[in-house]
Amino acid sequence: MKIMALGTLATALLFATPAIAKDTVPQFKSVEAKHFPRAEGVELSPAFSDYLYAELRAELTKAKLFGQVIGEDEVVDEADAPKSLVIVGTIMEYKKGSVVKDALIGFGAGMRSLKVDANVSRRSNQQNLTAIHVHVKVSPRWDEKVMARFAAKNIVKQLKDSLKAEAKTS
Amino acid sequence: MDSSRVAALRWSALLVCTLLSVQARAEDPKPTPENTITVQLAEPVKPQTFARPLKFFLVDVIDRSGNAQPMMVFKPRGGIFLDRTPVEITRAGLETCLKSANMLAADRDSADFLLTIYLFNFGLSDSSMDFFGKVEFAAMLKNPKTAKSQQVAASGTSIAGVAIRKKNIQKNIQEDIERAFSDALRNLLRGAKLRDAVAALDSPANLAPAPARSSAAPAATDKPLF
Repeated sequence: MKIMALGTLATALLFATPAIAKDTVPQFKSVEAKHFPRAEGVELSPAFSDYLYAELRAELTKAKLFGQVIGEDEVVDEADAPKSLVIVGTIMEYKKGSVVKDALIGFGAGMRSLKVDANVSRRSNQQNLTAIHVHVKVSPRWDEKVMARFAAKNIVKQLKDSLKAEAKTS
Repeated sequence: MDSSRVAALRWSALLVCTLLSVQARAEDPKPTPENTITVQLAEPVKPQTFARPLKFFLVDVIDRSGNAQPMMVFKPRGGIFLDRTPVEITRAGLETCLKSANMLAADRDSADFLLTIYLFNFGLSDSSMDFFGKVEFAAMLKNPKTAKSQQVAASGTSIAGVAIRKKNIQKNIQEDIERAFSDALRNLLRGAKLRDAVAALDSPANLAPAPARSSAAPAATDKPLF
């Protein structure tokens, strides 16, 4: 009898777990990431901005925080605007780094670095939800696209943390 | 004696160069059914709705990429080729999307707007780390009644991971280009740029219903010519 009861409980739990997982409704209906322009004096390849944008979209899709990740300048229904976010940002600083310093000194000297500032706002009333500051440091031997990937991951992580914190307080 | 040695050296160098070039030509990948991919939309992109129902006619798609081999998307490992030219894929994709929303005009005369697409990039962009799919084009939107036109740029990107097996590389590249293509079409058809261009080019007479004419003051066009 006990075995049967335990078996029934285990079966119920097995069926309930995926159902719970499926019930998570995204907090926001859509999010739009814009291409990040460069601040004056930032020297990066022309493709970098495109790559950062594509990585950011890929990371936002992976995060599963939003119903859909829409393209840049896409039209959104007015009814959906309060539940839609827009991410705008600027590449503030880029330091190329030095392979020689990295090899001879080490301990972070000569690292390639990138600073990105981003703002997340609500589409309907332009209310600023969170400000994101990302500083990425990678080896000067690595491709700049690695930096774009790390920056995108960091931006989405900070956004996720901030939205979770906001949800808890409200 | 010395001159004959130099001549022999020259001839041998020439022979080596010729052999190398023949080998290189032999290594140029060729399209086969095994290394050819079919890029098509998984589902048509739904265009945005306008103030009044509009019909578009796709006049032409022009390749401006300057790519000598537009169908070859990946050169290493025996190459990967598209089954149709980017021009044909773009035309088919755009027509499918417009047709699905009943926005494709049957002919030029019945269209509210004429579309000419200039294709700048279709395929993979340079990236050593992964596959970076990029589709970029500009649509020239023309109102045939007023002959005014405006350009709308659209682009789509996608990133797919690298693979080791040829089969997986082919699958990843196909999915990557399909996503980028779908993204570019979405960027055009659901974009605010197209909405603004249509609003700017649409003649006011079509936007608002024509006001009732009073019999006392007939319009200039209503006057008899003879």
